[in-house]
Amino acid sequence: MSIDPVTLAVVRGSLEQIADEMDLHLIHAAISPIISETNDCAHGIFHPETGETIAQGRYGLPVFLANMQFTTQNIVRLANEQGGFKPGDLWILNDPYVGGTHLQDVQLVAPYFVGDRLVALMASTGHWMDIGGSVPGGWAPKATEIHQEGLLIPAMKLYDQGRLNEPLVQMFRANVRLPVQIAGDLAAMTNVFTIARRGLDQLVERYGVDRLSVCVAAMMERSEQEMRSYIEEIPDGTYRFEDVIDNDGIVDKPLNIVLTLTVRGSQLTFDFTGTSPAARGPVNLSRNTTLSACYVAMKHIFPEVPVNGGAFRPATFIIPERSIVAAEYPTPVGGYLEVLGRVIDIVFGALAQAIPDRTPAADFGTVGVCTIGGRHPDTGNFFVGVFPYPGGYGGSRASDGLVNGNPPLSMANFMSLEMSEHRYPVRFNHFRLREDSGGAGWHRGGCGTEYQFTVWSDCVTSVLGDRVDYQPFGIAGGGEATPNAVRIHTGGNSWVPPMRSKLDSQPLHAGDGVEAASPGGGGYGDPLERDPNEVERDMNLGYVSRATAESAYGAVISEAKPLGDRMTYRIDATATATERARRLAARST
Amino acid sequence: MGAVVGIDVGGTFTDLYYTDPEHGIETILKVPSTPDDPSRGLLDSLRVAKIDPSTLEALLHGTTIATNAIIERKGARCALVTTRGFRDILELGRRDRPNMYGLTGVQQPLIPRDRRWEVRERVDHRGNVLVPIDDAEVRALGAVLMEQNVDAVVIAFIHAYAHTAHEDRVRDLLAAINPAWEIVTSASVIREYYEFERTSTAVVQGYLQPLVSRYARNLHSKLREWGFQRDVLIMQSNGGVAPLTELGKRSAYIVRSGPAAGVIAAGEVARHAGFNKIITADMGGTSFDVAVVINSEPRIAENTLLEFRVPLRLPMIDVHTIGAGGGSIASLDRGGILQVGPRSAGAMPGPVCYRRGGTEPTVTDANLVLGRIDIDSPIGGSGATKVNLDVDSARKAVTALGAKFGLSMEETAEAILAVVNQRMAGRMRLISIEQGLDPREFAMVAFGGAGPMHGAALIREVGIKTELVPAYPGVLCAMGCAIADIRYDLSQTIEQRLDRTDIGALQAMLKQQRADGEEQLKKSEAPHDAVRASHFADMVYQGQIHALRVPIEADWNADRLTRAFIDTYRRDFGNTLGDIPVVVVNVRTTVLGVRGAHAAKAQSALTHDQPKPFKRRPVHFGGWTDAAIYRRTDLLPGMQFEGPAIVEQDDATTVVEPGMTTCVDAAGNLLVTLTEKAA
Repeated sequence: MSIDPVTLAVVRGSLEQIADEMDLHLIHAAISPIISETNDCAHGIFHPETGETIAQGRYGLPVFLANMQFTTQNIVRLANEQGGFKPGDLWILNDPYVGGTHLQDVQLVAPYFVGDRLVALMASTGHWMDIGGSVPGGWAPKATEIHQEGLLIPAMKLYDQGRLNEPLVQMFRANVRLPVQIAGDLAAMTNVFTIARRGLDQLVERYGVDRLSVCVAAMMERSEQEMRSYIEEIPDGTYRFEDVIDNDGIVDKPLNIVLTLTVRGSQLTFDFTGTSPAARGPVNLSRNTTLSACYVAMKHIFPEVPVNGGAFRPATFIIPERSIVAAEYPTPVGGYLEVLGRVIDIVFGALAQAIPDRTPAADFGTVGVCTIGGRHPDTGNFFVGVFPYPGGYGGSRASDGLVNGNPPLSMANFMSLEMSEHRYPVRFNHFRLREDSGGAGWHRGGCGTEYQFTVWSDCVTSVLGDRVDYQPFGIAGGGEATPNAVRIHTGGNSWVPPMRSKLDSQPLHAGDGVEAASPGGGGYGDPLERDPNEVERDMNLGYVSRATAESAYGAVISEAKPLGDRMTYRIDATATATERARRLAARST
Repeated sequence: MGAVVGIDVGGTFTDLYYTDPEHGIETILKVPSTPDDPSRGLLDSLRVAKIDPSTLEALLHGTTIATNAIIERKGARCALVTTRGFRDILELGRRDRPNMYGLTGVQQPLIPRDRRWEVRERVDHRGNVLVPIDDAEVRALGAVLMEQNVDAVVIAFIHAYAHTAHEDRVRDLLAAINPAWEIVTSASVIREYYEFERTSTAVVQGYLQPLVSRYARNLHSKLREWGFQRDVLIMQSNGGVAPLTELGKRSAYIVRSGPAAGVIAAGEVARHAGFNKIITADMGGTSFDVAVVINSEPRIAENTLLEFRVPLRLPMIDVHTIGAGGGSIASLDRGGILQVGPRSAGAMPGPVCYRRGGTEPTVTDANLVLGRIDIDSPIGGSGATKVNLDVDSARKAVTALGAKFGLSMEETAEAILAVVNQRMAGRMRLISIEQGLDPREFAMVAFGGAGPMHGAALIREVGIKTELVPAYPGVLCAMGCAIADIRYDLSQTIEQRLDRTDIGALQAMLKQQRADGEEQLKKSEAPHDAVRASHFADMVYQGQIHALRVPIEADWNADRLTRAFIDTYRRDFGNTLGDIPVVVVNVRTTVLGVRGAHAAKAQSALTHDQPKPFKRRPVHFGGWTDAAIYRRTDLLPGMQFEGPAIVEQDDATTVVEPGMTTCVDAAGNLLVTLTEKAA
């Protein structure tokens, strides 16, 4: 059957639309604020035999980009072992070694039948607020095995040909801390498939199953072709990059992540050989999520590529077993976000050698959070406040780096300070741009952010971050960013946690506090080539200090005068040019 | 009600709608806008329409001056004064990025960091002073601001909504140093928590105030010269109007007011036609705006992003926009799949057929080569501004695109329309699903220069039963200005569990808001027939972030308020969260000065005559068909005709597809529906 291009374009749009509607339905109906307010979910439609992504919703989080496909492919295999999908089946799992990410992310997979013909698979992933385990919310920084992190659901049928496995639901409810909310989220996720079926039915009615299948195959081919056309623009070669995670929070030893990226024509090979073995603490990534991270990085560089299985085809992976990027049972994975961020960094680091014009320098590179918990003195109620890290983005050919970005794999925001002070016994002393923290460059890295709060009642704080010992890198001659810094203030003393930015359950009393300063992004290109007017502006805005302007940018200051409690500067352009020429000459000898 | 004129000044055209119900006169026209001084185009439109200023009861006006000043960064040179430790709030936002994918791009704060200053002061979340203001420090800062030569100063302190005295004190101290400064305090613009959003809203106000005040003075004197002595009312983005004399102080309220006016008018027209659930579909040259109106109440958004990290936390009609319009460009992506928009040819160079140098085919070019637009009488111009369309070049451009994937010119043009219609239909479905609504239960009002050309395809695609094309779809925003009520919104943050809230104090707060609103209304001296106040509470289950806005009465007790919240929650989400305590976040009051019930257009007697096409021409719908072409002015209430047909009028062209029936209702609206199949 030949494909007419109008049908193809409209069918692709309609399938993406159905996936978007699945996203929005769950975001609207979920009870967990983490889904309804930070969109921590994902939805897609998948090929019935290969499990490849046909379309994925555009409202869910990037972290699930390719993860959904690999999970669905594992379910296809398991279902086939058990006699294949039947109408009315609904599979459930949160097993990170089969699915990905962490135990809180529960995924449902359902078949879509037209008559007795299996036409597609549909999947919904949502983050549940609690999944049992040793710590409410599921993040256990001291976990050394998966069971401390919560209840593990192997891939199994929640509905078997339309019949609910009620004992299974009772078992969940008995093992999580928020049974009512969890049951509500499960119901909302199940309802998503009604929305998807309605949309698919309309498409089938309009085009028929055969034409639809031809379109799906063509869509995949077109996306593959599009992805390959981008890869072909990357010069052939082997690009190696490695980076480091400070420690796993339990053993104070750096962990290496190594990538050898090979480009041959339109084919990519991601080889992680040399990466450290699984960490004892929870800083580990399941294999599927490692793959997903590589695609997220590619999508950040080539945002136009559509998200479907075709775009994932031109890549192969070599991932050492039982390494921190291929966690296996019973390795804990609760701190997976730090590793995920670092995988994105090294993909950028490798590609920067091949296509520096398209690749940004490293972003602040720590996804970590600072949490505080306790009982509120005004209400007696238990509270948990979560302050995720904001930080600077790397410079790029296109622009300087952004300040106060969210991690590349997330879209979640920082809570309003005023609202935080209403809800938790905290008072912020400052929340500001961290001056001089972006890497120097022709386009400099964005500055990090620093904040400090004091508590006015007893509570407990935990911090999980990284990038203290190994800071975000620059590319194409750009400089490194300032590293992460966490300080705890207790009893009038100020101290750095032994694991620097990883700290578990530190008690705080009234007057104690936490001070965090996140890294900026790395710089892009040679700082000696930065426009002196821009350097002058950076100094006057306080993005760059006078000392850095002189040392890194070769600026010669002709005038410095006070204005209020600040200084304003003028750069002598001619003297700066001379100074820069002198330094360049010194470099080459 | 006497004669009223509504004028909407857009980027390209200034639209005028004049109605004199007593004499049964209605006039519309479009003149070119004059971006260097928009008041000139406005006066032009009044003169061209030959309106006698002495007979006019009111002049209502929508303007893009505020929107443009933000986009083009042409606002005032402002300084920002914050609590010590927080001057970067404006730049940092709440941790985000411009696009989900792609890590490049920067922001341009409306006030750069070197003009953002801090003073020692702090209050807590209940409004208790922790650190008092030091007058000497503020005076010293005043001297620095003099040196920085600023026009306006915005003061935004942490928790100022709970304790306004610190901001007011600093305002007074600075005003004493330089009375010429326009000074804006955050709590005077919006008395709600969320420091970034409140600061940004106050900054938008301060950034626009000098420019908008100047515009208001200029317009005022020009209208006096023209002979108009009465009141001028300005359209706001909340769907109500405010007097011109207050315009400066309400600058932030007029950002994006044009689309709001269109929604108001669409809602009104649909209500008179008997539809209470509508989706508005406003398609112009570069964008497609969608909104939902239920029972004449447009959905209100509490927070609108003007651009990356420039939120405006004021009640605004919730209008969603995608980049799809007549100027949207069609091209092939790298996978060889056809894309239409969001890239647009804009007004310059515009579609290929406009003869302004455009070479890539657009949606308008596709409509033209399919015969849907009359080559000789295109939209958006009359008399001198009429464009002579270049159909040959449009054909060449569409043919060249089609050659890349082996389609004929006609097939390619149909494909362009199919793709852009699918995108617009998708946005219409999403806006309803986001709100838990089923789009198929709605009627669609199509307007804007290109809306009625695509409306038929959109209702087919979304499954909507009826498309309503109002009498003047091309100038509906101007009409919206003419019929809107005067509106003031007041709000205040409480953020307290209902069972621990002093209900007497809450009720007093509502009474005070109502009194303040009525006082503003009285001071405005704007003519109105009645005053209507309504109260709302934003409430959440403890722990939730996004509040539900619940209509309440000023004398309700805690139990009644709780019940109202739970009922609304159940309606919106299908369940409740049991015993979790309910928190009241904000209380709000809206005061309306209701203007003479807009006389519904005279309902004419229905005729059973068959409408007569003024000509026929080939139009392409899957194949060339001989289609009837009607003049809108020949279509009388009660008439009915079948597609394929085209209805032409000065301000728009309506396409009726084969298999669709059009009826003219008593008010002269076209109602387009799928033809019932004979049993």
